[in-house]
Amino acid sequence: MTVVLDKVSKSFGAVKVLHDLSLEVQDGEFLVLLGASGSGKSTALRMIAGLETVSEGTIHISGRDVTNELPKNRDVAMVFQSYALYPHKTVAENIGYPLKIRRLARADMEAQVRDVAQQVQLDELLDRYPKELSGGQRQRVALARAMVRRPAVFLMDEPLSNLDAKLRGHMRAELKHMQHELGITTIYVTHDQVEAMTLAHRVALLEGGRLQQLATPRAIYEDPENLFVAQFIGSPPMNVAHGTLEGGTFIVGDDRVATGGSETVRNAVIGLRAEDCRVVAPSEGQLHAKLFANELIGDHTLVTAKLGEDTLSIKASKDFEAGFDEAIGIAFDPDKIYLFDKDTGARIDRRG
Amino acid sequence: MSRTLMQRLFEPTSIRDMAIGTKVIVYSILLFWTAFVLFPIYWVLITSFKTAVDVNSGPVFLPFIDFQPSLHAWKELFVFDYEDTLKAYVNSLIIALSSTAASVLIGSMAAYALARFEYRPKFGVVLTFVLVMIAAFYAVGAYGVDWRLASASGIAVFVFLAIALGRYFKARLSNGDILFWMISQRILAPIVVVVPIYMMFQQVRLLDTHIAIILTYTVINLPIVIWLMYDFFRSIPIDLEESAQLDGATRIGVFWDIVLPLSRTGLAATTLLVMILSWNEYLLALFLSTSRAQTMPILVAAMNAGERGILWWSMSVVIIVMIIPVIVLAIILQRYISKGLLLGAVKG
Repeated sequence: MTVVLDKVSKSFGAVKVLHDLSLEVQDGEFLVLLGASGSGKSTALRMIAGLETVSEGTIHISGRDVTNELPKNRDVAMVFQSYALYPHKTVAENIGYPLKIRRLARADMEAQVRDVAQQVQLDELLDRYPKELSGGQRQRVALARAMVRRPAVFLMDEPLSNLDAKLRGHMRAELKHMQHELGITTIYVTHDQVEAMTLAHRVALLEGGRLQQLATPRAIYEDPENLFVAQFIGSPPMNVAHGTLEGGTFIVGDDRVATGGSETVRNAVIGLRAEDCRVVAPSEGQLHAKLFANELIGDHTLVTAKLGEDTLSIKASKDFEAGFDEAIGIAFDPDKIYLFDKDTGARIDRRG
Repeated sequence: MSRTLMQRLFEPTSIRDMAIGTKVIVYSILLFWTAFVLFPIYWVLITSFKTAVDVNSGPVFLPFIDFQPSLHAWKELFVFDYEDTLKAYVNSLIIALSSTAASVLIGSMAAYALARFEYRPKFGVVLTFVLVMIAAFYAVGAYGVDWRLASASGIAVFVFLAIALGRYFKARLSNGDILFWMISQRILAPIVVVVPIYMMFQQVRLLDTHIAIILTYTVINLPIVIWLMYDFFRSIPIDLEESAQLDGATRIGVFWDIVLPLSRTGLAATTLLVMILSWNEYLLALFLSTSRAQTMPILVAAMNAGERGILWWSMSVVIIVMIIPVIVLAIILQRYISKGLLLGAVKG
């Protein structure tokens, strides 16, 4: 089912936390709302759920205007960050609660609960209470409770953030598989860009209550619309160096980098992905920096270098070795550079 | 022994894990305390079997050894005077149970509303209401206006003023103000309001009836219920209620399915407290009842007022039968007063 937000705003008193958010979530899509804390992503989700009122704009779910509907009439299910399991109910009662409210016959209810529990491997634990479960198991109960009544939309508010790192990776894959299998439209809130990149069909990146970019993970990585997006997405984040753009030549310190364009911007920023850079001899690089540290990650070495005030990360081969403070050159393909206006944060189109 | 001082102070070792010497000391302290607490009850119990001679001839402690127990006081109250005793007992039960039920039911709903909804009434509107009501009362009292006419026109005037002037008022009250106003009703000493209350019930001809005392007790206990339950409701994670709403429950459904079961502990403790307060209340009962609605505390006090001096033995009998219901209720509710009810709700 589709979810459409049209110029949705939210104010708490005089503070506006969400500015004219417009989104169109396709049927069966996995959309991730990504942003740092305070970016308005959770508020947006809670407004879709009906837990917050909408200050301005409208929300449609499956083509129906639900802007002023109660949560129970929206046909959405939500998985909370805290799981929000009912502590006085067993696992089976927790999962069956949405069905109980809908006055389903007892036999049907038990069959459906058993069915869903099987899907998330909880069928052995149906008589336990939430306090007797591990974090991962509680997470599954919360998921099963959301799945059991086949809602039009799944809403998930950082559902994996309370799990340990290993379990989180595992649950991520399971979530993705499950969403694919059920084909239910899902809106997922997270601050973790890795989660966003791996799970989403499309990512909506929010900052300061404003939508920064809405695109597929690949597009948002390869074609960021502004400096904020470029620096938020990617691990390590995109390298930036501050300088001046003069007639298409980027000047940072003593280095001059031909960008292939012809703009002049006083406060400009050059962006480079860590994997697009190579560490070379000082004479061969387009940029000249000092080695700050190198860390062997396993399949590669992460080289940190200082270029004036800026710090750059470069993915080098795992055999790379160099001493501290050694002068190095950084080489890259001119096609792989990104240019931004420092003052507005906007991307400068090199071909313009 | 890697326990810090704080842990040793605030997370004491279980008695089962203690060394034998420590165990003996701890048990003897506990035993002494138990005896200390239970002794008054024991004393009242044996006094109820004493004769006037036994009481007045100095302390005697052990029945059949120190003195010969006698059933005379019990007989007096339950055979000769049984009508009065039984009536007071039934009155007390009816009044305490009804007012407890009413105040816990109304109070917990009010507390839930204050804990979960935001109220922003305009101060000016509230003030207008109070002023109009005072005017209406004055009209009834001083000029003999019919009270139905006075209250109807009072409400009409208030509605008119609220609509006409409402938008000029800026200052608003919040939930905290409402909560404080409610608890302030309890800060007021009952002795201050007992005469007005008496006159009010006199006006409506309800003196010496169950309903008058039940209403009064309900009103004086409401602030306690609201204050206590407000805290309990606030301690329930709001996620649980939001989750239930999304699962399809109505507001009332959320209250019954999620909030009430999770606040059992608080409800049990509050019920017990309010029950004991109503059961023991003396001052208001003294004013509001003369004979038909007399409660047990009045009966106990009457033992002190006879021309034969203080009837310790009879008083003890009444005290014994008076504490039985409270003990029964405490035993019933005690199993609900358990820790860890919310464990596993969120995170963990």
